[in-house]
Amino acid sequence: MFKIETMKGHERMSTQDLLLAIEKAVKDGETEFEIAASGQHDIGGPLWNADGKTLHFHVTNAGQRVGSMCLPGTEIVVDESTSADVGWLNAGGLITVRGDAGDTAGHCSSGGRIYIGGRAGTRTGSLMKHDPLYEEPELWILKNVGSFSFEFMGGGRAVVCGWDSEAFDSVLGERPCVGMVGGVVYVRGPIDQLPGDVRPHALAQEDIDFLAGGMDKFLAAVGHEELAAELSDWSQWQKLVPLTQAEKKALPKPAGVAAFRRTEWVKGGIFSDVAHDDFAVHNTLSHGLYRLRVPSWDNAKYAAPCEFHCPTGIPTQRRLGLIRQGKLDEALQLELDYTPFPGSVCGSVCPNPCMDGCTRGTIDFPIQIGDLGYKSAFTPVAAPTEHTGKTVAVIGGGVAGLSAAWQLARKGHSVTVYDDAAHIGGKLEQVIPRGRLSHELLEAELKRIESVGVKFVSGCKVDRTKFAALQKENDAVIVATGGTKSRFFPWEGVEHLTMGLEYLKAINRGEKPATGKHVVVIGAGNSGMDTCRGAYEMGAETVVAVDVQKPAAFADEIAYIEGLGGKLVWPFFTNKITKEGVYANDGRFIPADQVIVSIGEEPVLDFLPDDERIQYFRKSWLVPDAQQAILPGVFTAGDTIKPGRLTDAIGSGRKAAWYADQYLRGTAEPFPEKQEIPAERLSKAYFDRCHFCDLGDPVDDHTRCVSCGTCRDCKMCLESCPEEAITRKENADGSWEYVSDPERCIGCGICAGVCPCGVWTIQPNPEKIPMYSTGQQA
Amino acid sequence: MEAVKTQDVGVNDLPWIIEYHADRCTMCGSCVASCSFNAIKVVMQKQSLTVSEASVPTPKHTHIARPIIKQVASLTDFCRGCGMCEKICPNNAIHPVRNPDQRRHLLAKDNGPLKRGGRTNLNAQRALDSIVVGRISQMTDPSLDAARHTFDIRAPFGRVLDSHELPFEIVDGKLVKKHRTPPVQWIYPLIFSDMSIGALSTRAWEAVALAVGYLNEKCGLPVRMSSGEGGMPVKLLESEYLKYFIIQIASGHFGWNRIIKAMPHMVTDPGGVLIKIGQGAKPGDGGLLPEAKVAEHVQAIRGVPKATLASPPNHQGLYSIEESVQKMHLSMNAAFGFRVPVAIKCAASATSVSVYNNLLRDPYKICGGFFIDGIQGGTGAANEISLDHTGHPVVSKIRDCYLAAVKQGRQGQIPLYGGGGIGMTGDAAADAFKMMCLGANGVFVGKVLIQLLGCVGNEQGRCNSCNTGKCPMGICSQDPRLVKRLDVDRGAQKIVDYVLTFDKELKKLMAPIGNSSLPIGRSDALVSTDKAVADRLGIQYVC
Repeated sequence: MFKIETMKGHERMSTQDLLLAIEKAVKDGETEFEIAASGQHDIGGPLWNADGKTLHFHVTNAGQRVGSMCLPGTEIVVDESTSADVGWLNAGGLITVRGDAGDTAGHCSSGGRIYIGGRAGTRTGSLMKHDPLYEEPELWILKNVGSFSFEFMGGGRAVVCGWDSEAFDSVLGERPCVGMVGGVVYVRGPIDQLPGDVRPHALAQEDIDFLAGGMDKFLAAVGHEELAAELSDWSQWQKLVPLTQAEKKALPKPAGVAAFRRTEWVKGGIFSDVAHDDFAVHNTLSHGLYRLRVPSWDNAKYAAPCEFHCPTGIPTQRRLGLIRQGKLDEALQLELDYTPFPGSVCGSVCPNPCMDGCTRGTIDFPIQIGDLGYKSAFTPVAAPTEHTGKTVAVIGGGVAGLSAAWQLARKGHSVTVYDDAAHIGGKLEQVIPRGRLSHELLEAELKRIESVGVKFVSGCKVDRTKFAALQKENDAVIVATGGTKSRFFPWEGVEHLTMGLEYLKAINRGEKPATGKHVVVIGAGNSGMDTCRGAYEMGAETVVAVDVQKPAAFADEIAYIEGLGGKLVWPFFTNKITKEGVYANDGRFIPADQVIVSIGEEPVLDFLPDDERIQYFRKSWLVPDAQQAILPGVFTAGDTIKPGRLTDAIGSGRKAAWYADQYLRGTAEPFPEKQEIPAERLSKAYFDRCHFCDLGDPVDDHTRCVSCGTCRDCKMCLESCPEEAITRKENADGSWEYVSDPERCIGCGICAGVCPCGVWTIQPNPEKIPMYSTGQQA
Repeated sequence: MEAVKTQDVGVNDLPWIIEYHADRCTMCGSCVASCSFNAIKVVMQKQSLTVSEASVPTPKHTHIARPIIKQVASLTDFCRGCGMCEKICPNNAIHPVRNPDQRRHLLAKDNGPLKRGGRTNLNAQRALDSIVVGRISQMTDPSLDAARHTFDIRAPFGRVLDSHELPFEIVDGKLVKKHRTPPVQWIYPLIFSDMSIGALSTRAWEAVALAVGYLNEKCGLPVRMSSGEGGMPVKLLESEYLKYFIIQIASGHFGWNRIIKAMPHMVTDPGGVLIKIGQGAKPGDGGLLPEAKVAEHVQAIRGVPKATLASPPNHQGLYSIEESVQKMHLSMNAAFGFRVPVAIKCAASATSVSVYNNLLRDPYKICGGFFIDGIQGGTGAANEISLDHTGHPVVSKIRDCYLAAVKQGRQGQIPLYGGGGIGMTGDAAADAFKMMCLGANGVFVGKVLIQLLGCVGNEQGRCNSCNTGKCPMGICSQDPRLVKRLDVDRGAQKIVDYVLTFDKELKKLMAPIGNSSLPIGRSDALVSTDKAVADRLGIQYVC
């Protein structure tokens, strides 16, 4: 027996001396200890007997941490109450405190057994653990424990018997078991609210067996055997077990906001008076109404560049489309719906602005539109089958008048063309050098005009009297007398000038007008080049064309003249004309024995009545209204409005005819005009460049044509649509359309992106969604 | 030959470049269909090649045209980097990449000042990020356990009287109040701030409001939400939930007709009134709601036609601080029977301390809070010049105001709330904690809320298209096609969860410094790794 009294009078033995003394005694083989302590700490561990014998301690008046780090084979009995940390880190000892224990009793114990015969303080049982290689630690408490008990408990079993604790709302104090992840707490009596992850359970048989098996020993140890029956009513007990990690993961989520909104929040939502919302959540992509964008198949909404840039307005893309469909005859006829001169103008003298605009020209070479026009040169047309009974007089047998006459006659009106020349045909007949325009071709096309019923009256000078008569005799009159008077400026010596228009007319009449050896032509536009050509043909040795600006004539016309030896001089501001030649305002002089002026013509309109309703520009040109009328029923077209090319005159004639026809029928349809298709709508990527040498017959250009703005029926859209929303619908007349099903379409715009023709458009969804309103008055 | 002029706008002039992998693309159309900015389109691309496959030069021509997704090179329909295309693409074939060489800011000024939403992109650096909670209880005094301890996380909203001003007397041995005192509410120190009906979609506004309702009713957190200057939903005005909402009045006075008309039908008082004088994102530039967002309900609530709405930069009737106190504070207090605290919000400014001193001196004790909004605050629409080049950081201003109050012994009497960039790095709790240590009673957040709803905008120029009405998330849009993309419940839940975590995180900072109540003015808890910041704020410099 190692017996020690730690107080000698007023001298107290230090903890260190006591512990060293105990340790020495244990090493010396002592197993029985009677310690009369005076507050010394850590009595009882970690100690062991070399032979494995049990060490017995009986301690009075101990300090903190009795039995801390206690090993198996150590038994400690404290008769009365003790201080904090009893059995701290207990690794196997049997520690009995017959009175109360202080705070953190059993803290971190992971083995052995601790019996407390009274109450235990705050944080009792916290961080208890169980090492699976060894037995579970046990912590038995007869009464109750302080707050924050069993925090972060990881293993072992704790038993709180709750005896003599009626004064407490909770035998586990406040907020027990926070952070508890393992082990079991058996408890008898009321407890405070548990954390959400620790659940109370009724005892199972295994629990009862454990408690029943240990209770007697515990009560015997703390000297309360009489309580056995009272504490063995297992219905008064419950056990507290933390959820396993798997159980925690499987916990149902709290009902959350969604349920709160449906059951408790302002009914229908706080905006339900002004926003009509079902709170349904749409996918980022939607079909139908909720698509951000929608496609539309805008076939022929825009003019192809060829059509747009053709003053006559010929839709060549449609001609090539018909050819692509094997409808060559229809294609050739379509041309004639727009012009009576596909051979003379399109195929011969027209500069073909259509080809300048042609999209294909930006890939390799423009579609051969002029040559394609020529294909219709000798194509007959059927005479109109219906006649309106209306008569129209066309004054002027040039291209503008004949274009109007052609259109009106084909619409069933009776049309007569009056011209003061001996031959109908205007500048085509009278002015264009025969070398540029085959006379036979022209005559054939004039005959075709007659074939639809147009009457020609040539050699008929229309004066005011005649005009009044024609106005009276006819339902409508077209004034298309063109520009017939050569223009010039009041230069010094204008009396020496030869008028270019008269000069060319004389040549075409076969009169061989007087021509100098050295000729200067003032004006280097196309008519200037025609004049140069005429002068050479009439025997001139040198011809010089002058102009104030860069010559406006077509390159091949200039090249032709230069090929004959002609020269072009610019800028040249004519100042004076003498018998010897022409002076510029900078003093330059070009010798010439003839000076021909060819800077354009102005109309002669002296046959029109003095009527203030007729508007003029610079007293020369007519200013018609938007319907090209100058008086009710009197329309005008061509160079009477402004100087233009032959194709301009044909287009102008067509437009005048449109409004004259509307006038005659009493309708008011506007002349159809379209915007040019924006180039970026087209997909030129499809088209591979071809070599110039590979250009074939213009009819075969249907393979090269981009078909700008007009569906070519290639089915790229139909095949590319990721939602298979597009179908092709064939109409009874053989035409077709592509349709996108709104319920399938997501508005991606692939159809618009892949459409070679720019027919498909993708645009913001225009359909309004009636989600918001102003609300209602209370 | 391509026809491109050197001055044509190219993709490389734009802030984001779409990186597209044609080899991965299946042309499902999802990216183009989902892009609300028209920034990408489908085009046909050709590859025409002449190759030689023989052993001697033998030209062989190949040509293929294939559809691809192409970025639109436009200064108006430009990619904002929102990443919807990337999100929706099933094959990782497309995503936007930030373009450091962008020239849009330079080139896109043909039609007047650039407009955008979001927050400053130039002055996004924050003093808060050089401050750490550096005074941790380590053996000096017990720190607290964040998980277990009881914390008192409440901030006053309303005019707090000095203790000697409290009108108490003892009658029959009991303490009784002799006369009324200014209303004070103890609220959560995180206020959801000022995003108007109009700036936000109905769904986004409701999601934020719903989160407030839930946090109060189900989580016990008395979070308040300020309405913003676009009025209040009538149904909310007439509901019990009104008590959680602070009604704002700004210079445009939008929406007050319906607020006043609803007064007879109110079943409870609002949580407060906030007089907005200025906004940190664009101080001195007034409110702005572009026409694209002025839908029917916005027109109705605000009483205006479909037009771009500019609020004046100043309240039209106020010419001085004194007048503001007299007129606005008095009238707003009177409107609700002097039962509801009335606070004022100003943009942080070099003059903030003067304003605060004036308010503190007010003998009527009628100002219930001073909100200071810093340069990093967000906005739905502003002139970019204002966003990037005007404003004032909030941190030193809160500190100055607090110390000014301390000097008078009046700290805490007019509660200070700081905002503008709170939560910018994702940790609003840390920002809030530091702001409180420097003297704020609480903080207010806006941008972080819509980011929780799904907003991908940031201060590095991502998206920032709140002004266009084309918000891909349906948050800052009134286009039903976009608005219906937004999941109200999911968004509100996200906010709720964030705030619940904010609460836990705040405790994680309060515990180490041993504070169980809010650490107002506990600047000793902060240290800074930036000497200048440390000196300016009067906290310890550490390195």
